[in-house]
Amino acid sequence: MTTPDGTTAATDESTDDAKQPGAATGLTLPGSEKKGVWRFVPEKTLPRHLLLVLLAFVGVVLLVESVSDFRVSQLATMAYYVPAVAGLTLLTGINGQISLGHGALMAVGAYTTALMLERYEGVPFTLVLVVAVVVTSLVGVLVGAAASRLHGPYLAGATLAFAVGLPGLAIYFEHTLGGEEGLRVRNLPEAPGLVQDAFFFITGNDLTAGKYRAYLAWFFALLVLFLLSNLVRSRYGRMWRAVRDDEVAAELAGIDLGRARILAFVVSAACAGVAGALLAVITRLVAPTSFTIVLSIFLLVAIVVGGLGSLTGAVLGSALLVFFIPFVTDRAVGLGLSQVQAANAAPLIFGLFLVVIMLAAPQGVVGTIRLRHLTRKAEKAMRAAQAR
Amino acid sequence: MLEVKDLTATYGPVTALDGVSLSVPQGRITAVLGANGAGKTTLLRTISGLVRPKSGSIALEGQDITRTPVETMVRRGMAHVPEGRGVIAELTVEENLRLGRMFRGGKDEAQDLEEVYRLFPPLDSRRKRSAHTLSGGERQMLVVGRALLSKPKVLLLDEPSLGLAPLVVAQIFSLVRELVDTTGLAVLLVEQNAKSALSIADTGVVLNLGKVVATDDAQRLAQDEQLRHAYLGF
Amino acid sequence: MEQFVTLTVNGVILGSVFAAFALTLVLIFRATRIINFGQGAMAMFSGFLALRTIEATGSWWLGLLVAIVSGFVIGALVERVIVRPVESGPEINAVIVTLGVFVGFVALAGILFGNQFRGFPGAFSLQGFDLVAITPNDLFKLGAVVVALLVLVVLFQLTSLGLQMRAAAFGQEVARLLGVRVSNMLTLGWALAGAFGALAGVLIASGSPISPNYMDAVVVFGFVAAVLGGLDSFVGAVVGGLVLGLTSTYVSGYVSSALPTLAALAILVVVLLVRPGGLFSSSVARKV
Repeated sequence: MTTPDGTTAATDESTDDAKQPGAATGLTLPGSEKKGVWRFVPEKTLPRHLLLVLLAFVGVVLLVESVSDFRVSQLATMAYYVPAVAGLTLLTGINGQISLGHGALMAVGAYTTALMLERYEGVPFTLVLVVAVVVTSLVGVLVGAAASRLHGPYLAGATLAFAVGLPGLAIYFEHTLGGEEGLRVRNLPEAPGLVQDAFFFITGNDLTAGKYRAYLAWFFALLVLFLLSNLVRSRYGRMWRAVRDDEVAAELAGIDLGRARILAFVVSAACAGVAGALLAVITRLVAPTSFTIVLSIFLLVAIVVGGLGSLTGAVLGSALLVFFIPFVTDRAVGLGLSQVQAANAAPLIFGLFLVVIMLAAPQGVVGTIRLRHLTRKAEKAMRAAQAR
Repeated sequence: MLEVKDLTATYGPVTALDGVSLSVPQGRITAVLGANGAGKTTLLRTISGLVRPKSGSIALEGQDITRTPVETMVRRGMAHVPEGRGVIAELTVEENLRLGRMFRGGKDEAQDLEEVYRLFPPLDSRRKRSAHTLSGGERQMLVVGRALLSKPKVLLLDEPSLGLAPLVVAQIFSLVRELVDTTGLAVLLVEQNAKSALSIADTGVVLNLGKVVATDDAQRLAQDEQLRHAYLGF
Repeated sequence: MEQFVTLTVNGVILGSVFAAFALTLVLIFRATRIINFGQGAMAMFSGFLALRTIEATGSWWLGLLVAIVSGFVIGALVERVIVRPVESGPEINAVIVTLGVFVGFVALAGILFGNQFRGFPGAFSLQGFDLVAITPNDLFKLGAVVVALLVLVVLFQLTSLGLQMRAAAFGQEVARLLGVRVSNMLTLGWALAGAFGALAGVLIASGSPISPNYMDAVVVFGFVAAVLGGLDSFVGAVVGGLVLGLTSTYVSGYVSSALPTLAALAILVVVLLVRPGGLFSSSVARKV
């Protein structure tokens, strides 16, 4: 781990809250000497992400322990959106494939989880999760293989058909999959006694079943974020971006377009599988009505808001879905709409948002954000160079 | 008839036309020559309105048409046969021609169409055929016929000889010359095949990198060996 | 055997409505090379306006008229205001915009008309004839689509306006040079599609309960039908619609009523992988 010279001498040693240029890429640009606490943030990607994730988990614990039960359930809901939105960010933002079918993929993960928990009592939840991820990934391979040959509206249309059609399976296999009413999720994971005691010891609070499931969900959500963030920075991430930006150049560079796309699809499907499994355990019910096309559109809005291609944005987008929607619904009721009518307020705003953002950012959301980001970075480096 | 003054047009940071001035008189053929990328096609596209000029002016019969919308040009008497000919392949020969006639107004549509068929017999025998079945030469006839149906005062022709056999090129060029001599049509002819163009043109304008490097009587240009070698490739 | 006949007849009728909807997608695609995922929601909205009119005035035909006119206007407005800015950009922008239109209109309908199912009266009697389980209402649907199709064909092939629209669709720049007001033709294309979509929306609603989501599945079927036919072919849209309609009723009747959409998906995948240009496309190579 290297700290560049020049930190001492002329520069001010006071703690500086602003993120230093260069920290994001691990390169040391002129003017990027680290000040104060940032000297302790690792340069290398893996340890840095690990640190961020651990800090995030601590943050989650602090939050959960200090808010009402209602907020806890909202935080738990956010936990299952995060992997779904993050996976979709990878697929659409970084690899450029639009999918309206990830709500249906979440359903695959959720139903698998519900069925496994029902059939195999006593199996550790982690194993159930792994099975759900594997099953969803297999579906992802199939869908991804078809999707890899399609672009733009054809891909959107095909995944739309997938999303609208898949819930039909739940109704067809009514006996196993519970039909319209869905399946109640039984045998929910519970905290082992040791963990409960340890928790009480550390925090002085009881570890309720609801809180435990929230922590469990956030644990896996952050794990997914950790894995994805490293994947995005790896050569796979570069490969996916190359395929998105310029197919011809990528092919000439030796990248197999089809394989790259399918891989991105499978990874995002796996994330959706995790999300579905967590959804099953948090909401305790899996039914076709939880996985309509509206869910897929919400996921799309979340990634557009968060800024395509940014995992931090994925977290922001998830927060938006969880906290903004009830906020809007309440305001709508306040304006005199009935409860049922008010439920439409958030989708209406999202629809308008999708339209407006495409009109306001015609280069495409990816283009605008990347352009601004790169421009800012260049400006900063220029200023730093001029300052010396 | 057509006066272009100091026309400048840019595509982003690239300057395609840099202060181009020329005039296209009635009853004359003015040829615009130069290498690929010299700005010839951009010149025509800017005159007809597909491209907005950055500065400069264009006047047709004394009226300023610099920023007139392209769709109204036909009514003003300007017909532009674009690069690549512009045959609408999915439509029939007759439908292509009807489009040319459509915005002229007046009642003799059928008669006017018959005139074009007389002028170009190959089109006559293929009236209802889809335009994509036509050969290169037939397509050129189609688009010239289509342009003429709007009874233009000025005809912009972009590389009509492209991809055509020399005999066909000669036919079309001699037809254009005849029209110009008999009807007073003004023609602005863009060509890479400078030799053929200069053989029927009255005036030649040579473009290089968006600038006019020579304007002269066509025959004198054809005899200027230095110029020919430098800009025209022969 | 009797079931087969019934299913086939119903399939043709359903297919004719899918065909009408697929035609609207083709109209828009030919005009602006965009697939309008919001088409179903726009049609649904017009359908609800028709319902309100019928409830207020008692006249089914006035309701149909209101739907068609509102569809025309909505189509024109959406093209001018929302789609025009993204027509020339990357295609993902248009996808997101039309999805926004989809979600927006469904939500708006929910706010204005409520989310519960409401009955939409049939155009004619809903009582079947003795011989075949087909109703006058069904015959009307078929007839209406046939008439609409004829109107389209006459408009496009025989009128000079239709010629201008085809020129604008096939050779935009050249058409402008020839004097066609291409921008107006694009808007007209969307307006016509809106009107036809509204017709399809009313026909589908006729005699059934509707909610703001009632056209969602139709978008999928219409899309697959249009792709199957080749996105720029009217004939293709009709054939595609019939194929989808028949598939839907056969799968519903012989397998399960929960699976027609998946069958449509299967058709879509096969078409896109085997013959992406569709059955009747006039374009040489379709990049999907």
